[in-house]
Amino acid sequence: MLSKSQAKLFFISGTLLFTVLLLILTVDTLRQVPIQTRESNLSEEVKRGKLLWDKNNCMGCHTIMGEGAYYAPELTKVYDRRGPEWMKVFIKDPQAMFPGERKMTKYNFTDAEINDLIAFFKWIGEVDLNGFPAKPTLAVSINSLPTSVDNSSIPQPAKFKSLCMACHSLSGVGGKVGPALDGVGRKFNSEYLHKWISNPSEVKPGTAMPKLELTEEEKNEIVKFLGAI
Amino acid sequence: MKYKSQKVAYWFFATCMLLLSLQIIYGFIMGFARIGYDGLHEFIPFNAARATHTNLLVVWLLTGFMGAAHFIIPDESGREIYSVKLAYIQLVSLIVVGVTAIIGFHLNWWEGRKFLEIPRPLDFLVVINVLTFLFNIGMTVWKGKKFSTTGIVLYLGLLAAALLYLPGMIYFHNQTLDSYFRWWVVHLWVEGVWELIMGSILSYLLIKLTGVDREVIEKWLYVIVGLTFLSGILGTGHHYYFIGTPKYWLWIGGIFSALEPLAFLGMALFAINMYRKSGRVHPNKASLYWTIGCAIMSFVGAGFLGFAHTLPQVNLYTHGTLVTAMHGHLAFWGAYAMIVLAIISYALPLLTGRKLWNNMTSLLAFWISNIGMLGMTGAFAVAGIAQVYLERKLGMDFMVVQREIEVHFIGLLFAATLFTIGIILYIYNFIKFGIPSDEVLLPEDSSDDLQFLNENA
Repeated sequence: MLSKSQAKLFFISGTLLFTVLLLILTVDTLRQVPIQTRESNLSEEVKRGKLLWDKNNCMGCHTIMGEGAYYAPELTKVYDRRGPEWMKVFIKDPQAMFPGERKMTKYNFTDAEINDLIAFFKWIGEVDLNGFPAKPTLAVSINSLPTSVDNSSIPQPAKFKSLCMACHSLSGVGGKVGPALDGVGRKFNSEYLHKWISNPSEVKPGTAMPKLELTEEEKNEIVKFLGAI
Repeated sequence: MKYKSQKVAYWFFATCMLLLSLQIIYGFIMGFARIGYDGLHEFIPFNAARATHTNLLVVWLLTGFMGAAHFIIPDESGREIYSVKLAYIQLVSLIVVGVTAIIGFHLNWWEGRKFLEIPRPLDFLVVINVLTFLFNIGMTVWKGKKFSTTGIVLYLGLLAAALLYLPGMIYFHNQTLDSYFRWWVVHLWVEGVWELIMGSILSYLLIKLTGVDREVIEKWLYVIVGLTFLSGILGTGHHYYFIGTPKYWLWIGGIFSALEPLAFLGMALFAINMYRKSGRVHPNKASLYWTIGCAIMSFVGAGFLGFAHTLPQVNLYTHGTLVTAMHGHLAFWGAYAMIVLAIISYALPLLTGRKLWNNMTSLLAFWISNIGMLGMTGAFAVAGIAQVYLERKLGMDFMVVQREIEVHFIGLLFAATLFTIGIILYIYNFIKFGIPSDEVLLPEDSSDDLQFLNENA
């Protein structure tokens, strides 16, 4: 049977061996990380964005690269999922975007700070994470309701694409928070639609739809588009 | 107790009780926020509650380890603590730093990296504090009459824990490297050097409670800590699967983390075997329950549940979900909270001279808190698995899934209430023991509380 001194030798030699191996692997990892994380894109904005991310303990609710708390959405691919326009509007007043839902603190970031944060998310989204987050293998297009009109041929206004589509869907593509917009132009006239997107809670108090900052021109463009689908 | 200065340990343990109570309160704040009752959001947003909850855990466990060291090291080195005054200064300053950090969290003052949330200036104070502690205990060991393996392994564990805090203080602009070295602190603590501390406290308790020959117990201590490092050091790789580090970590992390349960399995088998070989009937049954319970629950929580989601193929879907919270709760409870509660249960009668060994309260505290924690683990497991399938497999929206799994958090809150009742009973018992007294200065073996089986036979 093993003696105490043999057991001690096992402990010491094992610890030394595996410590050395960890150090060797660390050296190699440090060599490879700049390529895998596209460190050349790590601009000053990204650095400032990361500092903001840390300084406000965003990881205390969100996860990034799968690390953090599990109270708020995973943000690794948020740049692809939401786009910069939506993120700008959201960060300015998070609760306005999801009224009555789980709350996020309003941080009163300046526009420059918001740009830094978005730059950070863009950079994170481009890091090669060995396949994380995984594609949802069982995803079925739950949202793809049959529609009489194919709307994909009509070009979408820029703001519609970046803001409205984050919550609403068209022909089964888009967000799932608000109702699908297929055929909405046949249900409502353009005057009503204009009033609705200008100030939703005035038309329907308590609605979950936020009041978005849009110029008159952008509103008209969206209403015209909605009328055509 | 044999040495007057062991009394210091009592105040460390009392601090533990206080911090544990606060930790539970913050746990409830988060539990309620998850089912929609987030009325405290303006004052205690979720990120502050969460950081307070985890940091309090770390601080009360470290305080417990320090208390254990102040109790065990004099006994194992055969002398008084080097400086009792320094020990008190260190405890008070630790509390001051801790309280400052927690108030800071509520004022949005952060370093903001998971588990290492405390702001940088406080990091330096922690380092000074821990160095003071290591100096004091180190001098006690150094000037001691004897060197025991248990004492040395305990000291090594504490020293290594302090050293490993340093890589967490380097700033990286690259999130991947930031995370890489953050795990050197977090992983190498809880799946490395803390197991040294836990193993040595376990050894000490088994030597005292079972009376099995020290040489036999300490031999197994070496084997177990050997297994810990054999698997745990490269097991760090399971945190390097999906953070922008090379693909070979999937292999290395996968293989070595699969070996990690071995150390915990070894610990459980070792504790049970030593108990069977026991040559004495120790009157302190409560302490024996916590000791054996710790060895078993650490295998279930840290070993088995850790293994359950550590394979890269599984982790690809479970990474960053409530499955981690499921494993985290039972692992910390089984491995570290229970060992601290075990050494407190063992030390209290010796420190205070009150022989409240096996009253109903102390045994109920053991069973109720453990059943409560298993219930909480179950609730997290169901919520986590549902989240994995709905969000990660079906691709549903995060918030839609969160609403779907809210019901499991009601279950969690019920189990947490049961757990809290157990802890309240434990603390009630702790208070009933009263404060330590100099009148009980005598070695345990010379009291007539112990019964030796061979004498009775």
